Amino acid sequence: MKKAASVILSILLLFSLASCTANEGGTSQKGKSESADQIDVDLTKLSKTMIYSEVYNMVTTPNDYIGKIVKMKGVCSKYTDEETKKTYYSCIIQDATACCQQGIEFTLKDKDAKYPLNAEEICVIGRLATYTEGEYTYCTLLDAELLG
Amino acid sequence: MTNLIESLEYPFVRYALIVGVLIALCSSLLGVTLVLKRFSFIGDGLSHVAFGAMAVAAVIGLSNNMLLILPVTVISAILLLRTGQNTKIKGDAAVAMISVGALAFGYLIMNIFSSSSNLSGDVCSTLFGSTSILTLSISEVWLCLILSVTVLIIFILFYNKIFAVTFDENFSKATGVNANAYNLLIAIIIAVIIVLAMNLVGSLLISALLIFPALSAMRIFRSFKSVTIFSAVLSVLTAFSGIIISILAGTPVGSTIVAVEVIAFFLCYLIGYIKGGQKA
Repeated sequence: MKKAASVILSILLLFSLASCTANEGGTSQKGKSESADQIDVDLTKLSKTMIYSEVYNMVTTPNDYIGKIVKMKGVCSKYTDEETKKTYYSCIIQDATACCQQGIEFTLKDKDAKYPLNAEEICVIGRLATYTEGEYTYCTLLDAELLG
Repeated sequence: MTNLIESLEYPFVRYALIVGVLIALCSSLLGVTLVLKRFSFIGDGLSHVAFGAMAVAAVIGLSNNMLLILPVTVISAILLLRTGQNTKIKGDAAVAMISVGALAFGYLIMNIFSSSSNLSGDVCSTLFGSTSILTLSISEVWLCLILSVTVLIIFILFYNKIFAVTFDENFSKATGVNANAYNLLIAIIIAVIIVLAMNLVGSLLISALLIFPALSAMRIFRSFKSVTIFSAVLSVLTAFSGIIISILAGTPVGSTIVAVEVIAFFLCYLIGYIKGGQKA
Protein backbone atom coordinates (compact mmCIF):
# COMPACT_ATOMS: atom_id res chain seq x y z
CA MET A 1 0.00 0.00 0.00
CA LYS A 2 2.81 2.42 0.94
CA LYS A 3 4.71 1.67 -2.28
CA ALA A 4 1.61 2.19 -4.39
CA ALA A 5 0.82 5.40 -2.56
CA SER A 6 4.38 6.65 -2.99
CA VAL A 7 4.26 5.92 -6.73
CA ILE A 8 0.92 7.72 -7.07
CA LEU A 9 2.27 10.69 -5.13
CA SER A 10 5.39 10.85 -7.30
CA ILE A 11 3.29 10.82 -10.47
CA LEU A 12 1.02 13.54 -9.04
CA LEU A 13 4.04 15.66 -8.16
CA LEU A 14 5.62 15.22 -11.60
CA PHE A 15 2.33 16.15 -13.24
CA SER A 16 2.06 19.19 -11.00
CA LEU A 17 5.63 20.29 -11.70
CA ALA A 18 5.12 19.89 -15.44
CA SER A 19 1.96 21.98 -15.39
CA CYS A 20 3.43 24.65 -13.19
CA THR A 21 6.56 25.18 -15.27
CA ALA A 22 4.75 25.23 -18.59
CA ASN A 23 3.26 28.61 -19.47
CA GLU A 24 4.57 30.00 -16.21
CA GLY A 25 4.13 33.47 -17.61
CA GLY A 26 0.43 33.02 -17.28
CA THR A 27 -0.30 34.22 -20.75
CA SER A 28 -3.73 33.39 -21.92
CA GLN A 29 -3.81 31.90 -25.34
CA LYS A 30 -7.52 32.06 -25.75
CA GLY A 31 -9.87 34.65 -26.86
CA LYS A 32 -9.78 34.00 -30.57
CA SER A 33 -13.01 35.09 -32.10
CA GLU A 34 -14.25 35.40 -35.66
CA SER A 35 -11.67 38.22 -36.05
CA ALA A 36 -8.93 35.94 -34.79
CA ASP A 37 -6.20 38.36 -35.68
CA GLN A 38 -7.74 41.21 -33.72
CA ILE A 39 -8.70 39.84 -30.31
CA ASP A 40 -6.17 38.12 -28.07
CA VAL A 41 -8.24 37.98 -24.88
CA ASP A 42 -12.01 37.75 -25.39
CA LEU A 43 -13.59 37.98 -21.97
CA THR A 44 -17.11 38.09 -23.43
CA LYS A 45 -17.01 34.34 -24.10
CA LEU A 46 -16.13 33.31 -20.54
CA SER A 47 -18.21 32.62 -17.43
CA LYS A 48 -18.30 35.15 -14.58
CA THR A 49 -15.89 33.10 -12.53
CA MET A 50 -13.40 32.90 -15.37
CA ILE A 51 -13.75 36.58 -16.28
CA TYR A 52 -13.01 37.71 -12.75
CA SER A 53 -10.00 35.40 -12.49
CA GLU A 54 -8.58 36.46 -15.85
CA VAL A 55 -9.02 40.18 -15.10
CA TYR A 56 -7.36 39.59 -11.73
CA ASN A 57 -4.40 38.00 -13.53
CA MET A 58 -4.25 40.87 -16.01
CA VAL A 59 -4.20 43.45 -13.24
CA THR A 60 -1.69 41.64 -11.01
CA THR A 61 0.65 40.42 -13.79
CA PRO A 62 0.08 42.97 -16.56
CA ASN A 63 3.45 42.33 -18.20
CA ASP A 64 2.07 39.07 -19.57
CA TYR A 65 -0.72 40.90 -21.36
CA ILE A 66 0.86 44.14 -22.54
CA GLY A 67 0.11 44.81 -26.19
CA LYS A 68 -2.68 42.25 -26.32
CA ILE A 69 -6.08 43.19 -27.71
CA VAL A 70 -8.70 42.69 -25.01
CA LYS A 71 -12.44 42.60 -25.42
CA MET A 72 -14.62 42.83 -22.32
CA LYS A 73 -18.17 43.50 -21.33
CA GLY A 74 -19.13 45.19 -18.06
CA VAL A 75 -20.44 48.30 -16.42
CA CYS A 76 -18.91 51.72 -17.02
CA SER A 77 -17.54 53.46 -13.97
CA LYS A 78 -16.57 57.11 -14.08
CA TYR A 79 -14.21 58.64 -11.55
CA THR A 80 -12.92 62.18 -11.33
CA ASP A 81 -9.85 62.93 -9.24
CA GLU A 82 -10.67 65.89 -7.04
CA GLU A 83 -7.12 67.17 -7.00
CA THR A 84 -6.08 66.78 -10.63
CA LYS A 85 -9.63 67.06 -12.06
CA LYS A 86 -8.76 64.21 -14.41
CA THR A 87 -11.59 61.84 -15.29
CA TYR A 88 -11.06 58.12 -15.62
CA TYR A 89 -13.41 55.61 -17.24
CA SER A 90 -13.32 51.92 -16.38
CA CYS A 91 -15.13 48.78 -17.42
CA ILE A 92 -16.08 46.96 -14.20
CA ILE A 93 -16.88 43.27 -13.87
CA GLN A 94 -18.10 41.30 -10.85
CA ASP A 95 -17.33 37.83 -9.61
CA ALA A 96 -19.92 35.05 -9.28
CA THR A 97 -21.08 36.14 -5.82
CA ALA A 98 -21.26 39.79 -6.92
CA CYS A 99 -19.47 40.85 -3.75
CA CYS A 100 -16.16 41.50 -5.43
CA GLN A 101 -15.61 43.63 -8.47
CA GLN A 102 -12.69 44.93 -10.43
CA GLY A 103 -12.10 46.48 -13.76
CA ILE A 104 -9.77 47.98 -16.28
CA GLU A 105 -9.57 51.60 -17.30
CA PHE A 106 -10.06 52.44 -20.96
CA THR A 107 -9.26 55.45 -23.14
CA LEU A 108 -11.17 55.85 -26.38
CA LYS A 109 -9.24 56.02 -29.62
CA ASP A 110 -11.42 58.81 -30.97
CA LYS A 111 -10.64 61.84 -28.80
CA ASP A 112 -13.95 63.44 -29.71
CA ALA A 113 -16.02 60.34 -29.00
CA LYS A 114 -18.64 60.48 -26.30
CA TYR A 115 -17.88 58.38 -23.27
CA PRO A 116 -20.66 56.19 -21.79
CA LEU A 117 -22.63 57.22 -18.76
CA ASN A 118 -21.76 55.99 -15.27
CA ALA A 119 -23.27 52.52 -14.61
CA GLU A 120 -24.06 52.02 -18.28
CA GLU A 121 -23.46 48.53 -19.64
CA ILE A 122 -20.70 48.56 -22.21
CA CYS A 123 -18.60 46.30 -24.38
CA VAL A 124 -15.14 47.67 -25.02
CA ILE A 125 -12.15 46.47 -27.03
CA GLY A 126 -8.68 47.89 -26.69
CA ARG A 127 -4.94 47.27 -26.38
CA LEU A 128 -3.68 46.62 -22.86
CA ALA A 129 -0.98 48.93 -21.61
CA THR A 130 0.34 50.18 -18.30
CA TYR A 131 1.24 53.61 -17.05
CA THR A 132 2.56 55.07 -13.83
CA GLU A 133 0.93 57.86 -11.90
CA GLY A 134 2.50 58.83 -8.63
CA GLU A 135 3.87 55.71 -7.05
CA TYR A 136 1.39 53.28 -8.59
CA THR A 137 1.22 51.45 -11.91
CA TYR A 138 -2.15 51.15 -13.58
CA CYS A 139 -3.55 49.09 -16.42
CA THR A 140 -5.53 50.65 -19.21
CA LEU A 141 -7.00 49.75 -22.58
CA LEU A 142 -5.54 52.16 -25.09
CA ASP A 143 -7.11 53.03 -28.47
CA ALA A 144 -10.33 51.58 -27.14
CA GLU A 145 -13.57 51.29 -29.07
CA LEU A 146 -17.04 50.78 -27.73
CA LEU A 147 -18.91 47.96 -29.40
CA GLY A 148 -22.64 47.49 -29.95
CA MET B 1 -16.77 20.01 -24.02
CA THR B 2 -15.17 22.67 -26.21
CA ASN B 3 -15.60 25.22 -23.40
CA LEU B 4 -13.95 22.83 -20.98
CA ILE B 5 -10.95 22.28 -23.24
CA GLU B 6 -10.67 26.01 -23.83
CA SER B 7 -10.81 26.69 -20.09
CA LEU B 8 -8.01 24.21 -19.44
CA GLU B 9 -5.74 26.26 -21.68
CA TYR B 10 -5.66 28.98 -19.03
CA PRO B 11 -2.72 28.42 -16.65
CA PHE B 12 -4.67 29.61 -13.61
CA VAL B 13 -7.31 26.93 -14.27
CA ARG B 14 -4.66 24.20 -14.35
CA TYR B 15 -3.09 25.55 -11.16
CA ALA B 16 -6.52 25.59 -9.49
CA LEU B 17 -7.22 22.00 -10.46
CA ILE B 18 -3.84 20.72 -9.29
CA VAL B 19 -3.88 22.59 -5.98
CA GLY B 20 -7.59 21.94 -5.42
CA VAL B 21 -7.21 18.21 -5.93
CA LEU B 22 -4.22 17.98 -3.60
CA ILE B 23 -5.95 20.03 -0.89
CA ALA B 24 -9.10 17.91 -1.17
CA LEU B 25 -6.99 14.75 -0.92
CA CYS B 26 -5.21 15.93 2.22
CA SER B 27 -8.45 17.16 3.80
CA SER B 28 -10.26 13.90 3.27
CA LEU B 29 -7.50 11.80 4.81
CA LEU B 30 -7.43 13.82 8.02
CA GLY B 31 -11.19 14.25 7.92
CA VAL B 32 -11.66 10.58 8.74
CA THR B 33 -9.54 11.02 11.88
CA LEU B 34 -11.42 14.15 12.91
CA VAL B 35 -14.84 12.57 12.47
CA LEU B 36 -13.86 9.51 14.49
CA LYS B 37 -12.34 11.65 17.25
CA ARG B 38 -15.57 13.70 17.39
CA PHE B 39 -13.79 16.88 16.37
CA SER B 40 -15.74 17.58 13.18
CA PHE B 41 -16.04 21.28 13.91
CA ILE B 42 -12.38 21.87 14.48
CA GLY B 43 -12.14 22.92 10.84
CA ASP B 44 -14.52 25.79 11.46
CA GLY B 45 -12.73 26.87 14.60
CA LEU B 46 -9.27 26.81 13.10
CA SER B 47 -10.38 28.49 9.88
CA HIS B 48 -11.82 31.36 11.90
CA VAL B 49 -8.55 31.62 13.79
CA ALA B 50 -6.78 31.74 10.43
CA PHE B 51 -9.17 34.48 9.32
CA GLY B 52 -8.34 36.49 12.43
CA ALA B 53 -4.61 36.00 11.83
CA MET B 54 -5.08 37.03 8.21
CA ALA B 55 -6.78 40.23 9.33
CA VAL B 56 -3.89 41.07 11.64
CA ALA B 57 -1.37 40.24 8.89
CA ALA B 58 -3.18 42.55 6.47
CA VAL B 59 -3.28 45.39 9.00
CA ILE B 60 0.41 45.16 9.90
CA GLY B 61 1.22 44.99 6.20
CA LEU B 62 2.95 41.64 5.95
CA SER B 63 3.91 40.93 2.34
CA ASN B 64 3.32 37.22 2.87
CA ASN B 65 0.48 36.70 5.33
CA MET B 66 1.29 32.97 5.59
CA LEU B 67 4.15 33.94 7.91
CA LEU B 68 1.55 34.80 10.54
CA ILE B 69 -1.44 32.67 9.59
CA LEU B 70 0.33 29.32 9.60
CA PRO B 71 2.07 29.61 13.01
CA VAL B 72 -1.01 31.07 14.72
CA THR B 73 -3.26 28.33 13.32
CA VAL B 74 -0.77 25.62 14.26
CA ILE B 75 -0.54 26.92 17.83
CA SER B 76 -4.33 27.04 18.10
CA ALA B 77 -4.62 23.50 16.73
CA ILE B 78 -2.09 22.26 19.25
CA LEU B 79 -3.96 23.90 22.10
CA LEU B 80 -7.26 22.43 20.98
CA LEU B 81 -6.24 18.94 19.91
CA ARG B 82 -3.02 17.94 21.59
CA THR B 83 -4.56 17.02 24.89
CA GLY B 84 -6.40 14.19 23.18
CA GLN B 85 -9.66 12.40 23.86
CA ASN B 86 -9.74 12.90 27.59
CA THR B 87 -10.67 16.53 27.08
CA LYS B 88 -13.38 15.78 24.56
CA ILE B 89 -16.10 17.48 26.58
CA LYS B 90 -14.10 20.67 26.96
CA GLY B 91 -13.11 20.51 23.27
CA ASP B 92 -16.52 21.66 21.99
CA ALA B 93 -16.61 24.74 24.19
CA ALA B 94 -12.99 25.58 23.44
CA VAL B 95 -13.59 25.32 19.68
CA ALA B 96 -16.69 27.49 19.87
CA MET B 97 -14.99 30.09 22.04
CA ILE B 98 -11.91 30.40 19.87
CA SER B 99 -13.91 30.23 16.65
CA VAL B 100 -16.34 33.09 17.26
CA GLY B 101 -13.79 35.15 19.15
CA ALA B 102 -11.26 35.02 16.32
CA LEU B 103 -13.90 35.72 13.67
CA ALA B 104 -15.26 38.71 15.56
CA PHE B 105 -11.85 40.19 16.32
CA GLY B 106 -10.66 39.56 12.78
CA TYR B 107 -13.57 41.41 11.23
CA LEU B 108 -13.32 44.19 13.81
CA ILE B 109 -9.63 44.73 13.13
CA MET B 110 -10.23 44.75 9.38
CA ASN B 111 -12.95 47.36 9.77
CA ILE B 112 -10.95 49.65 12.03
CA PHE B 113 -7.56 49.43 10.35
CA SER B 114 -8.19 48.24 6.81
CA SER B 115 -6.78 50.10 3.80
CA SER B 116 -8.73 48.00 1.30
CA SER B 117 -11.18 49.77 -0.98
CA ASN B 118 -13.59 46.85 -0.89
CA LEU B 119 -13.58 45.43 2.62
CA SER B 120 -16.84 43.52 2.28
CA GLY B 121 -15.66 41.92 -0.93
CA ASP B 122 -12.35 40.88 0.58
CA VAL B 123 -14.07 39.42 3.63
CA CYS B 124 -16.73 37.68 1.53
CA SER B 125 -14.13 36.18 -0.77
CA THR B 126 -12.09 34.90 2.18
CA LEU B 127 -15.12 33.47 3.95
CA PHE B 128 -16.71 31.76 0.94
CA GLY B 129 -13.79 31.19 -1.40
CA SER B 130 -15.56 32.39 -4.51
CA THR B 131 -12.47 32.73 -6.72
CA SER B 132 -9.51 32.42 -4.37
CA ILE B 133 -8.33 29.14 -5.88
CA LEU B 134 -8.35 30.69 -9.35
CA THR B 135 -6.24 33.69 -8.37
CA LEU B 136 -3.21 31.98 -6.88
CA SER B 137 0.21 33.36 -7.69
CA ILE B 138 2.87 30.91 -8.84
CA SER B 139 4.64 31.15 -5.47
CA GLU B 140 1.39 30.31 -3.69
CA VAL B 141 0.87 27.33 -6.00
CA TRP B 142 4.35 26.02 -5.18
CA LEU B 143 3.77 26.52 -1.46
CA CYS B 144 0.46 24.66 -1.61
CA LEU B 145 2.05 21.86 -3.61
CA ILE B 146 4.95 21.41 -1.21
CA LEU B 147 2.76 21.54 1.91
CA SER B 148 0.16 19.15 0.44
CA VAL B 149 2.73 16.59 -0.64
CA THR B 150 4.44 16.84 2.77
CA VAL B 151 1.13 16.19 4.53
CA LEU B 152 0.43 13.21 2.28
CA ILE B 153 3.87 11.70 2.86
CA ILE B 154 3.52 12.12 6.64
CA PHE B 155 0.09 10.53 6.59
CA ILE B 156 1.35 7.55 4.59
CA LEU B 157 4.44 7.06 6.74
CA PHE B 158 2.57 7.32 10.06
CA TYR B 159 -0.69 5.74 8.91
CA ASN B 160 -0.56 2.87 11.42
CA LYS B 161 0.16 5.09 14.40
CA ILE B 162 -2.51 7.61 13.41
CA PHE B 163 -4.97 4.75 13.12
CA ALA B 164 -4.03 3.45 16.58
CA VAL B 165 -4.25 6.86 18.27
CA THR B 166 -7.55 7.63 16.56
CA PHE B 167 -9.35 4.47 17.58
CA ASP B 168 -8.08 3.85 21.08
CA GLU B 169 -5.69 6.39 22.48
CA ASN B 170 -5.49 4.83 25.94
CA PHE B 171 -4.68 1.40 24.53
CA SER B 172 -2.06 2.97 22.28
CA LYS B 173 -0.45 4.61 25.30
CA ALA B 174 -0.54 1.34 27.19
CA THR B 175 1.27 -0.42 24.35
CA GLY B 176 4.04 2.16 24.36
CA VAL B 177 2.91 4.47 21.55
CA ASN B 178 3.69 8.11 22.24
CA ALA B 179 0.09 9.19 21.77
CA ASN B 180 0.76 12.78 22.81
CA ALA B 181 3.37 13.17 20.09
CA TYR B 182 1.03 11.76 17.46
CA ASN B 183 -1.80 13.99 18.64
CA LEU B 184 0.60 16.90 18.24
CA LEU B 185 1.49 15.72 14.74
CA ILE B 186 -2.19 15.40 13.81
CA ALA B 187 -2.87 18.87 15.18
CA ILE B 188 -0.07 20.42 13.10
CA ILE B 189 -1.16 18.63 9.94
CA ILE B 190 -4.76 19.70 10.43
CA ALA B 191 -3.70 23.31 10.89
CA VAL B 192 -1.68 23.21 7.66
CA ILE B 193 -4.59 21.68 5.78
CA ILE B 194 -7.03 24.28 7.15
CA VAL B 195 -4.82 27.14 5.98
CA LEU B 196 -4.49 25.56 2.52
CA ALA B 197 -8.19 24.74 2.30
CA MET B 198 -9.13 28.37 2.93
CA ASN B 199 -7.92 29.04 -0.60
CA LEU B 200 -10.22 26.37 -1.99
CA VAL B 201 -13.55 26.73 -0.21
CA GLY B 202 -13.13 29.70 2.10
CA SER B 203 -13.22 29.85 5.89
CA LEU B 204 -16.89 29.10 6.42
CA LEU B 205 -17.08 25.99 4.25
CA ILE B 206 -13.90 24.21 5.32
CA SER B 207 -15.76 21.80 7.59
CA ALA B 208 -17.56 20.41 4.56
CA LEU B 209 -14.27 19.59 2.87
CA LEU B 210 -13.12 17.74 5.98
CA ILE B 211 -16.21 15.81 7.01
CA PHE B 212 -18.41 15.15 3.99
CA PRO B 213 -16.05 12.72 2.20
CA ALA B 214 -15.48 10.82 5.46
CA LEU B 215 -19.19 10.64 6.30
CA SER B 216 -20.03 9.58 2.74
CA ALA B 217 -17.45 6.78 2.89
CA MET B 218 -18.77 5.60 6.26
CA ARG B 219 -22.20 5.05 4.70
CA ILE B 220 -20.73 2.33 2.51
CA PHE B 221 -17.56 0.94 4.12
CA ARG B 222 -16.72 -0.21 7.61
CA SER B 223 -12.94 -0.64 7.83
CA PHE B 224 -10.68 2.35 8.52
CA LYS B 225 -8.57 1.67 5.41
CA SER B 226 -11.56 1.35 3.08
CA VAL B 227 -13.17 4.47 4.49
CA THR B 228 -9.93 6.43 4.13
CA ILE B 229 -9.30 5.34 0.54
CA PHE B 230 -12.88 5.89 -0.60
CA SER B 231 -12.99 9.24 1.19
CA ALA B 232 -9.83 10.33 -0.62
CA VAL B 233 -11.09 9.25 -4.05
CA LEU B 234 -14.50 10.86 -3.47
CA SER B 235 -12.98 14.10 -2.23
CA VAL B 236 -10.73 14.36 -5.28
CA LEU B 237 -13.61 13.68 -7.66
CA THR B 238 -15.96 16.16 -5.98
CA ALA B 239 -13.32 18.89 -5.80
CA PHE B 240 -12.36 18.38 -9.45
CA SER B 241 -16.01 18.34 -10.55
CA GLY B 242 -16.85 21.33 -8.40
CA ILE B 243 -14.07 23.45 -9.86
CA ILE B 244 -14.96 22.49 -13.43
CA ILE B 245 -18.67 23.15 -12.89
CA SER B 246 -18.00 26.53 -11.29
CA ILE B 247 -15.74 27.55 -14.17
CA LEU B 248 -18.24 26.55 -16.83
CA ALA B 249 -21.39 27.72 -15.04
CA GLY B 250 -19.91 30.87 -13.49
CA THR B 251 -20.74 29.89 -9.90
CA PRO B 252 -18.63 30.46 -6.75
CA VAL B 253 -15.99 27.74 -6.49
CA GLY B 254 -16.29 26.99 -2.76
CA SER B 255 -20.05 26.59 -2.64
CA THR B 256 -20.10 24.54 -5.83
CA ILE B 257 -17.59 22.06 -4.43
CA VAL B 258 -19.60 21.73 -1.22
CA ALA B 259 -22.84 21.31 -3.18
CA VAL B 260 -21.28 18.46 -5.17
CA GLU B 261 -20.10 16.88 -1.91
CA VAL B 262 -23.59 17.07 -0.43
CA ILE B 263 -25.04 15.34 -3.49
CA ALA B 264 -22.31 12.70 -3.26
CA PHE B 265 -23.17 12.18 0.41
CA PHE B 266 -26.82 11.52 -0.38
CA LEU B 267 -25.84 9.12 -3.15
CA CYS B 268 -23.56 7.23 -0.77
CA TYR B 269 -26.29 7.22 1.87
CA LEU B 270 -28.65 5.68 -0.67
CA ILE B 271 -26.09 3.08 -1.70
CA GLY B 272 -25.42 2.24 1.95
CA TYR B 273 -29.13 1.94 2.62
CA ILE B 274 -29.61 -0.40 -0.33
CA LYS B 275 -26.54 -2.43 0.65
CA GLY B 276 -27.84 -2.72 4.19
CA GLY B 277 -31.23 -3.82 2.90
CA GLN B 278 -29.68 -6.46 0.61
CA LYS B 279 -27.59 -7.91 3.47
CA ALA B 280 -30.63 -8.19 5.67
